[in-house]
Amino acid sequence: MRKRLSRVARGGAHSSLQLIDGFLHEVGRYSSTLLLLMVFCVETGVVVFVIRDLRAADREVQRIYAGSVLGLRQIGELQYQAQETRRSTLYALTTNDSNLQVEYADQSRAADRRVTDGIHDYLTHARTPSETDLGKRLEYDWSAYLKLRDEVLASILEGSIKEAVDFDLAGGVPSFDRVRRDLDDVKRLYDEQASSRLAIVDQASRRSAARLVGVLCFTLLFASVSVWAIQRAKMLSALKLAKLQMDFVASVSHELRTPLAVICASAQNIADGVVEEKEQLAKYGSVIRNQTRQLTELVNQILLFASTKEGRTHYVLRPLQVPQIIDAVLRNTRETVEHPTLTVEQQIESDLPEIIGDSSAIAQCVQNLMSNAVKYGGDHPRVTIRAFVDRSHDHRDEVCVSVEDRGIGIDGSEIPHIFDPFYRSPAVAAAQIHGTGLGLPLAKNIAEAMGGRLTVVSKLGVGSVFTLHLPIRKRASEPIPVVQTDSLTRP
Amino acid sequence: MRRLAGVLRIVAAAVLLLGVSPNAPLHAAGASPQAESASEQSLAIIVNQSNPVDNVSFQELRTIFLGERSHWPNGRRITLVMLEAGQPERKVMLRIIYRMTESDFSRHFLQGLFTGEVFVSPKTLASPVGVRKFVFNVPGAIGYVRASDVDSTVKVIRVDGRLPEDKDYALRMTGHSVK
Repeated sequence: MRKRLSRVARGGAHSSLQLIDGFLHEVGRYSSTLLLLMVFCVETGVVVFVIRDLRAADREVQRIYAGSVLGLRQIGELQYQAQETRRSTLYALTTNDSNLQVEYADQSRAADRRVTDGIHDYLTHARTPSETDLGKRLEYDWSAYLKLRDEVLASILEGSIKEAVDFDLAGGVPSFDRVRRDLDDVKRLYDEQASSRLAIVDQASRRSAARLVGVLCFTLLFASVSVWAIQRAKMLSALKLAKLQMDFVASVSHELRTPLAVICASAQNIADGVVEEKEQLAKYGSVIRNQTRQLTELVNQILLFASTKEGRTHYVLRPLQVPQIIDAVLRNTRETVEHPTLTVEQQIESDLPEIIGDSSAIAQCVQNLMSNAVKYGGDHPRVTIRAFVDRSHDHRDEVCVSVEDRGIGIDGSEIPHIFDPFYRSPAVAAAQIHGTGLGLPLAKNIAEAMGGRLTVVSKLGVGSVFTLHLPIRKRASEPIPVVQTDSLTRP
Repeated sequence: MRRLAGVLRIVAAAVLLLGVSPNAPLHAAGASPQAESASEQSLAIIVNQSNPVDNVSFQELRTIFLGERSHWPNGRRITLVMLEAGQPERKVMLRIIYRMTESDFSRHFLQGLFTGEVFVSPKTLASPVGVRKFVFNVPGAIGYVRASDVDSTVKVIRVDGRLPEDKDYALRMTGHSVK
């Protein structure tokens, strides 16, 4: 039971890995840049998140400063001005000079106005009920004190010092004590609020730190996974390439060995004197010539592909007539392809405009398409080659050369891979249809080097249509680049 | 002494009849430019804003400033406020209200306080602003400043029903040599 469970678990893990590999394979097709872009996006998100958090903490600290520290400073100022109000009143007691007494009274009133304004400001900005109650109590007590202060001042200015002192002792002192207690209460309330806000900031700071650690851990994990994924994608890509190359080597070996064996056997027969009659000798000669031609074609194809991959190729571009190229291709096909039931149809539009390109390269491209159409066209290949002008393209008109077969067709899932170098469909390999997997990649490279493209429409069991799109030469006076580098050298 | 005071009163009345007529009719509201110019040269009698008195007769004003009355009708003690000696406003007050020289003025209060005929000793302040502030701070205070020195912190009372901007106001400085 345990073994079964572990097998199931292993199977689950294996299928998960397969899924990941499938994803990585898809991602790998668009290179690891995509993954790096994702990492960059996540990192940007993290930075934005951290900045937002820091700014929120900063705002909270500023609010505390504005709410508590400035509030405490305001209360300190209120206390000072209240003391100043009383001190100036008492100074007036110390002199008999009416001018000085009036000056002290003036100072006392200026200070009391500042206190009254401060209390009003405090009440305006009071947010909690306790702040409002305290503010109102302070306002009331301050008004009561001011009434008594006015009486004391009046008595001092009238010259009734004893009366002033009596007033102050009886009413002024207790009243001012109440004001002082109120101010102390306001200060205590501010202290409490500042403490609670400080606790909030401390909590927010801890929360920010925890978030930061969490986000950094996530980022690290994500970055690690991304690096792993990139490495795995590269490894998978390398493995795939290695497998394709191995397949290619095997295929090429087979493609080389078969004609060589035929040539060798034929030559051996001739050398051994098995072939005596002239007709038989001619037949053997024809076999050797065909196999040699096939070998030459194969070697040329490989060398051509290698040179295009290395970027050492050059095209000689000049104005071309498409029908002439098609004629050359068909002539070559008839000479090289000896298929008893091959039928080739031509549908060439008259007055096709000229194109710009390398005639040999384009002929090679069309030749590859024709070879494929014959190779995969079934037992009785019927190939239709068309040439027409396509004016539906967005920016420019094109001359299209399409090669249509009614053969085995291509499965939809295979189409994205058929232009990959060395790729051979498993179904084709299983059907023992020989090939190198270089024909279509080469054709595509040539099409793109000519400023065109190669497209395919196919249905399994119905057939395929490969179309070469080539740009039309706009004007006769259009300058023609004589040599285009990074292309293929033609002998 | 009383006979002397009676003689002085007769002389003052004659002067008033010739120069400043306290019984002249009140001007309508909205003083003319000439009246404004006159008001700038008039002395305003100011009291605390809480004082209910709005109008006094010239004689009552004299009685108050001579210190012969101690309390206002509301019971508040009267406090006299004078500018320092040498001030033009004080000279006008001595001439029109007291009808005394500086030395007579000093003697009047010293003697009055000693004999008990005078109840209030005047407070002396250096400037009209000081007078105004004093009156503002003391509910029972009464003082004088130029009409142009009056602001909203104090109340100007009528004298014989006239305000400083009125043409026949008793305490005008125009025509007097003021230095």
